[in-house]
Parts: sequence; C-alpha cells; structure tokens
Amino acid sequence: MSNHDKELNFELNILPILDILSVLICFLLLTAVWIQVGTLDTKQAIGDNSTAGAKNPPSLLITVDTQGTLQLSTRDLPNKKSFEERISASSKGVNWEVLEQKLATLRQEWPEMKTGIVHPEAQSSYGDVIRIMDKLKQHQFEGVGLSPLG
Amino acid sequence: MKTSSFTTQGQRKSPLSALQSLKPGVKSGKGKKRGLALELPLTSLIDAFSIIVIYLLIGTQTSGIESDIPSKMSLPTAANSLSLEKEATTITIEKGVYRLNEKIVSVNNLAAELRQLREVNKDLPAELIVQADQEMKYQELDPLLKASALSGFEKMKFAVVPEQ
Repeated sequence: MSNHDKELNFELNILPILDILSVLICFLLLTAVWIQVGTLDTKQAIGDNSTAGAKNPPSLLITVDTQGTLQLSTRDLPNKKSFEERISASSKGVNWEVLEQKLATLRQEWPEMKTGIVHPEAQSSYGDVIRIMDKLKQHQFEGVGLSPLG
Repeated sequence: MKTSSFTTQGQRKSPLSALQSLKPGVKSGKGKKRGLALELPLTSLIDAFSIIVIYLLIGTQTSGIESDIPSKMSLPTAANSLSLEKEATTITIEKGVYRLNEKIVSVNNLAAELRQLREVNKDLPAELIVQADQEMKYQELDPLLKASALSGFEKMKFAVVPEQ
C-alpha cells in the first residue's frame, strides 16, 4: 500500500454532527408555530339563485353598527308575526350574553326559523361579524349568510 | 459487532486517535497501544432519533389540508368551526391588499380574476377560503362578497381558529 493511501484513511467523528442536528431539530420545533385552522361556512346568494314567487322561509336579520349595537328583526314569520329587538353595546363592544339569550328565546319560540343573515355596517369589526355568525350556528341556524353593503 | 468508528485497524494509526491522548480520562498506555476508551453507542442514538422523527410525523399529521397564514394575521375565533378537508381557492385580505392564491389582485379586477379562476379550475368546488384579520373592517370584505357573487362562488369559508 502506498503512503498516499495511508493519508486518505480517516474516520469521521459523527458525535458533533449528531449534536448539531439535535440542536437544529430543537430550534425548529421551538420556533415553528402550529395552529389548527378551521372554517366557518356560509352560503351566499349568487346571481342566478332568484326565487321569484317562491315563499321565503322565516329568517332572522341581525344588523350590526360600528359600536357593536345589534338590531334583531325577523322576516316572513308564520301568521304575519314579527319580532324586533335592539341589543345595546356594552363597554367591550357587542353584548354577547344578551345576544345568546335572545337567540335561545327565538329558537324556542320559532323552531322552524333556520336562516340567519348578518347585515353589518361598513366600519363594523370583521371579528364581531364572524362571532355573530358563530353564535347563530350554535343556535341551530343552518343557513347563515352575510349581507353586502348597500 | 463493533459500533464504534474509532477503531484501530491493524497497525494503521488514525489521525483522530492521536486526539484521544488530549482528552481527559483517556490514558495512553506505555509501550502498548491502547484501543479507544470511548465506544459510541450509535444504535441507541439512532433509536432516539427515529422515535423523535416518528413522533413529529404523527404529531403534525391532521385530517385536513395545510394552509399558510400570514404571521402577523390574527384570525377570529369560532366555536362552531369545521376542519379544512378539501383544497379550495384561498383569498387573503391584509390591510386592503387582496391576495388570490398568493397573487396580488386589485379590488377592481377581483370579480374578473375570480371568474377566470372558476373557468380554469372547473373541477375544484365553488368555494372560497377567506383569510382575514379579526380587526379588519367589514368594508374591506364587502368587495369580495360582491365579486364572489358575480363570479359564481356560492360558498364562503371564513378561516377561524377553533375555540377551545
């Protein structure tokens, strides 16, 4: 065997490589942010969905203003009944406790009402709008939709 | 079977073996060449690593699909959310900038771009995943609602963080 071959014969020390790798894995695990994202589904009316002449199902319209005051009004209830309710905003914005109570009352009174439409103002918070739709879904409103600005 | 990589092979001397004399606790024998004191238990290290890798693979596996969210975006929370299960068109609204599948789109072109996307990807469901910050004003979402109605996207999926 030549001297040249002897010089090439070396052994790799893998212990520091493993150390570096484990530090890298720990670093990546600590810095990565894992969030499970869900979705809140709504079905929007599109252009060719007109139901002229058809009887509209009973629905609830929730108007949201900039401060968080809500106006609940029902549409197309049987026997031409109607329900109007105003929920004033609390110091933190929308008064969620009162909204939940009213939705529970409405659900008890008109179990056939399955449609809820949220009609926010331009400056209303998107987070509040989503939370209102979430509350509607929690109270078994199957068709939840958003109304565009006028 | 030797698991160590620091083995002496016949009379050959490894360059690394010279280093061992510098390490504390490794005495160099007088006259007689001693073998390496340290035997690296590679098998157990590989075991530990493979367990970590399997744990990570299982831990990050979810039933739904993966979706990237801008780091500064704080999604709204909802208790009644569904998991993302199908690939769909994603639109991100950030400070008035609309990104349709990562591509910046102006408000005026939103309906046209959505319609074009709908025609190209006919096999994809007519669903739109909307990612927006909870502090955003509703007026920024409104053009998207109108554009989606015009372009035939009938289902809007608002990305939320499930409430615990």
